[in-house]
Amino acid sequence: MILLVPEHAAGTLRGSARELVTAGRTLQAALGGEIHALLLGPGAAAAAAEIAKYGVQAHHSEDAGYEPFKAQVWTHAAAEAATMLGAKAVLVPASRSGLSYAPRVAVRLNAALLEDVIEVDSDGATVGGKRFTYLSRVTESSRTTALPVVISLKVNVLAPAEAAAAPGAVAAIDLPAAASGVEVLSQAKASTGGVSLDEASVVVTGGRGVGSPEGFTRLVEPLAATVNAAVGATRAVVDAGWRPYADQVGQTGKTVAPNVYIAVGLSGAVQHLSGMNRSKTIVAINKDKDAPIFKVADYGVVGDVNEVVPELVKLLKG
Amino acid sequence: MNFDLTPEQKEIQRLARQFATEQILPRAAEWDRNETYPAEMVQAAADLGLLNIGIPEEYGGLGLGMLEEALIGEELGYACMGFDTIILASDLAVVPLKLAGTDEQKKRFFPGLVKGLGAFCLSEADNGSDAAAMKTKAEFVGDEIVVNGTKMWITNGGVCSTYVVLCRTEHAQGHLGTVCVVVPGDAPGVSHNKLHGKMGQRCSYTAEVIFENVRVPKSNMLGGIGDGFKIAMKTLDRTRITVAAGSLGVARRALDESVKYARTRHAFGAPISNLQAIQFKLADMKMGLDTSRLQTHYAAWLVDNDRPHAQASAIAKCRASDVAFSAAAEAIQVHGGYGYMNDFPVEKLLRDVKLNQIYEGTNEIQRVVVARSLLR
Amino acid sequence: MKICTILKQVPDAEASIRTSGDRVDLSGVTFVMDGMDEYGVEEAIRLREGGAQVEIVALALGPKRFEDAIRTSLAIGADRAVHIETDETYDAISQARILAEAVKKEGAELVFVGGKEADWDSAALGPALAEVLGWPHVDWTTKLALSGAAVEATHDTDSGTETVKVALPAVITTQQGLNEPRYPTLPNIMKAKRKELRKAQPADYGAATALTRLTGEAIQVKTRLNKLFSGDAVESATALVNALRNEAKVL
Repeated sequence: MILLVPEHAAGTLRGSARELVTAGRTLQAALGGEIHALLLGPGAAAAAAEIAKYGVQAHHSEDAGYEPFKAQVWTHAAAEAATMLGAKAVLVPASRSGLSYAPRVAVRLNAALLEDVIEVDSDGATVGGKRFTYLSRVTESSRTTALPVVISLKVNVLAPAEAAAAPGAVAAIDLPAAASGVEVLSQAKASTGGVSLDEASVVVTGGRGVGSPEGFTRLVEPLAATVNAAVGATRAVVDAGWRPYADQVGQTGKTVAPNVYIAVGLSGAVQHLSGMNRSKTIVAINKDKDAPIFKVADYGVVGDVNEVVPELVKLLKG
Repeated sequence: MNFDLTPEQKEIQRLARQFATEQILPRAAEWDRNETYPAEMVQAAADLGLLNIGIPEEYGGLGLGMLEEALIGEELGYACMGFDTIILASDLAVVPLKLAGTDEQKKRFFPGLVKGLGAFCLSEADNGSDAAAMKTKAEFVGDEIVVNGTKMWITNGGVCSTYVVLCRTEHAQGHLGTVCVVVPGDAPGVSHNKLHGKMGQRCSYTAEVIFENVRVPKSNMLGGIGDGFKIAMKTLDRTRITVAAGSLGVARRALDESVKYARTRHAFGAPISNLQAIQFKLADMKMGLDTSRLQTHYAAWLVDNDRPHAQASAIAKCRASDVAFSAAAEAIQVHGGYGYMNDFPVEKLLRDVKLNQIYEGTNEIQRVVVARSLLR
Repeated sequence: MKICTILKQVPDAEASIRTSGDRVDLSGVTFVMDGMDEYGVEEAIRLREGGAQVEIVALALGPKRFEDAIRTSLAIGADRAVHIETDETYDAISQARILAEAVKKEGAELVFVGGKEADWDSAALGPALAEVLGWPHVDWTTKLALSGAAVEATHDTDSGTETVKVALPAVITTQQGLNEPRYPTLPNIMKAKRKELRKAQPADYGAATALTRLTGEAIQVKTRLNKLFSGDAVESATALVNALRNEAKVL
């Protein structure tokens, strides 16, 4: 069988959950067995009912110890459930959390790890995956030599699954949260206007060309708000202290692949491109027509961001 | 034969490259436009240990060789030849001390050069390559030497801690009477005028240095009376290699910029790098660069292994600077109209590297050196 | 306290990547220490400069060329290094098993691992290493302070940032923002020559069998439309919105 560990926010499934189902179904065709899902933390029961609509056998543990996310706690739960249910494959979204505990689950199950994959396949005895390497410039194919396998699945890549004719069963699972050596002292929400960078379907990123922190509030944030986008920043911008490090897109920051990526006043250094060059449609606004960002852009405006962006906001609102 | 650098040499090269590309290169154009002397970055280079690396360990230095200097010089030259000149001109004060200084003199002068700049005062307004015609005078008065005269085009003049000054003694004639005197930068009677309006290498501090009744102890003389010219020539036989190294940096930069531009600039519906006329230019730059690097490293190796090196260093300096000059010119040609504007870095390469064909012995003098050894 | 910093050597980010057949061809590429790993070395040095009694051991698993990265770390300030030299390619999980043995033998209590490798784009080594050791880990760390036998660390999460307290021993994965790595100095480069660089083999730390194998590598560059609008701001903005709405059919 195949075990999915989807994420949810207080009972609402995250978008990545339906992508997990898509990958789960691909593997099920070769590996056989049922698809199960493990939902953890407050709201898990509601999220379980939701995922069951996709023909998945859903298990939930509402233990408050699963919030906030702690890698060792989630590792314990996923590994226990996988062992209990006899999983040949464990799938988690490649969010920051997923990337953080999937390797631990693999170690604990003595399983192979396929990390941050964009595609999966199976011949019944092994599982293959494709993923990006070398700063997202190369697509690598690799296969496990055996099973089980733990897979973290890149978000916003696969088509979300459609509901199944026959829903799966929903049941509570007796899986209390394990102890952890990590004590959370404080938390701070990112400043991306409520839309998480990793999951946003539109991202607006500002670079040095935005001019100042004030330029972000005057240009980048209104544009992002207009198209319901998350706000990103380049390394130069976070280094200058205009935006927090959590907003950074690029090699040393977040890797995003939204439907639309809008680059405002940034030149497009290799390290930045590696964090966004897999976006579906790339739009760039920059005054330098030779900026490397235009080479990876589908659409671009050569012009002053101070003039072009307010105009865009006006037009997009209309 | 072994073309591998040692692990330490590779590390030094990596450090120099990182420092040059991260700290020097982004600021070079502005320094050039404003004739800014980058005192802070010179200090930063000194703090990293990139300055005067040839000072022996027993005198507080690193005791590194000419090959290490060449490695550093190429990286600095890549980022800004003017900045490299500040560093390599400093070495011109270290080498005479190394070659002709007594233990006592080394103990006295080297510590100040570990982090301080040196300057070598040879040229005068009326004589350059003809060092024998110099006018600056040294007089022996009791236990002191009194220096009087004006030196011209002195790199680091006015910003250095130590001058090595070539003078003639009043009664002797020609080469026989020259002396090499160490003058502290703050000695009373030393003054300077910064020279403005250089064609290139505009961030290096070049001055006219005036010595007016400057008194130093007699023990500041390197070697004996009559040794000055010999010491100067031996010094240049070595330091010329650093000019060759900086030239390599300029040539490599010209090539890199040209490759980058040729790939992105389109003409007739394709990148101009598809055109053989452009490809040949790139290939010629690469051939010039690689062969002059071999000669430069060879000359450095000769120095580091105490072999005769005068001819090899003359060839290296002359060839590398000629190669770099033509690479810079071709880089402008590849860039077309853009290359002629200072929005692109290539016109600066040409202005900067012109000097490499002139200083530390013009390329004509280098050819004379090589020809003489053939016709001896 | 002993600190291990795990090092990797990767192609320079500026280097262009080629393939030959169905594998990446790294011949002629310039290699550097993974930038992510530099933060770990720097942080370890800062802990020492902050007054902690630490020995910093650089630890690397990889081919001979990794030596360059190891020497860089020694020049920056690591006290000694262990190079587990191998031409074998291990996946992150089997690497973690070998390195965990090495960490145990060194008796380290704090391990720094780069947050994401610039060649494999992988963030798995740190968490996997911690799991093999049975330690907690903190990933994507941007701030770190020793507090008795524990560390307080601020790191990035899915929803923002979080400050946690973790009892040692622990694994910390590093990223940009944690510190500004220093340059080595020439004198330190020369001093590093005398520091110990011990060679070892994977077998010295137990055999680990790879559970995945590479089957292919390809460069697939998405073709971009490269449609540029320039000139008047209003006109080009209008043209852009039209193209996005009517041609690309997004937004």
